[in-house]
Amino acid sequence: MVGKADGIQVEGTVTECLRNATFRVELENGHKVLAHISGKIRRNYIKIMPYDRVLVELSSYDLNRGRILFRYRT
Amino acid sequence: MDSVVITRVAERHWHALADDRVVGRGEASPRPDGRLFVSVDSWQGAVFDQLANAMLANLPTPLYTVVDEADRDLVDHWRRAGFATRRREWEYVVPTEVDPVPAPSGVTILGVGDAEETRLRAVDRAIRGEVDWLTMPAEVLSRPDGDTVLFPSRYAVAALGGRYVGMARVATLTRQPRIGVLAVLAEQRGHGIGRALLANVLRSLHGNGFAIASAEVHESNEAAVALFEGIGARRGASNLELVWG
Repeated sequence: MVGKADGIQVEGTVTECLRNATFRVELENGHKVLAHISGKIRRNYIKIMPYDRVLVELSSYDLNRGRILFRYRT
Repeated sequence: MDSVVITRVAERHWHALADDRVVGRGEASPRPDGRLFVSVDSWQGAVFDQLANAMLANLPTPLYTVVDEADRDLVDHWRRAGFATRRREWEYVVPTEVDPVPAPSGVTILGVGDAEETRLRAVDRAIRGEVDWLTMPAEVLSRPDGDTVLFPSRYAVAALGGRYVGMARVATLTRQPRIGVLAVLAEQRGHGIGRALLANVLRSLHGNGFAIASAEVHESNEAAVALFEGIGARRGASNLELVWG
């Protein structure tokens, strides 16, 4: 059984690396969210830095929280 | 939230479902060295625990995961699942504006991209034959047929008497380059070859417009810690490799 995806996926730009392994990401609509990195990014030691373009999955419980799923090559 | 059902949707993929919606995911993937690494993504701590427990019950041991030590919530989740710290790697921020370091007598440093491929592969094999893979910095590139030199143009090497005795690999995929490997044959260590290699690589990066680079160093590798801190690197974040089973 495969369910529907829970989160909304949007693109954004990392504006700040915060403590606690959290990043501030500005979405294309100007909204800013706090995002952690996904397990896949963590497992693969992919570095996230300011100005990186990223794909973020927003939490349906709190649209101010997100999870970085993918970092686009720049 | 409605009751959560954990479903194995593929051999190494799990979903946590609530009201037919995916509210968490668990995944396992093998590293090139054969070890199985797991991860869990969820918005709820209880869902994380359920996913982790389902995966641990159905995957072969040992299992590994990697976490940023500053992510206390995540570290706590994995500890609650029974994972223990196996190793810690410091992330260093390395300035590229460094003074030149002369190579030891008889040693020539060939800059990034100048290595001859056959000898590069030979020194890579020799060094990896001396070093326990698990003590090397985390490396996750796929390695067809066991080959570990995928991009020869990214290496600088130290040459002595016609053969290579040390190597450094630089990855510049992002705006901040990374020193992926810095290694010297055991018989040649302690003479300053590593320091000369590192300085050569950093100065090359500086010349190409990069102000800093990054590097990961195992906390127990005192020689590497001394080398990087001696050249001006600053310790930043730390990554923990956790193991279960």
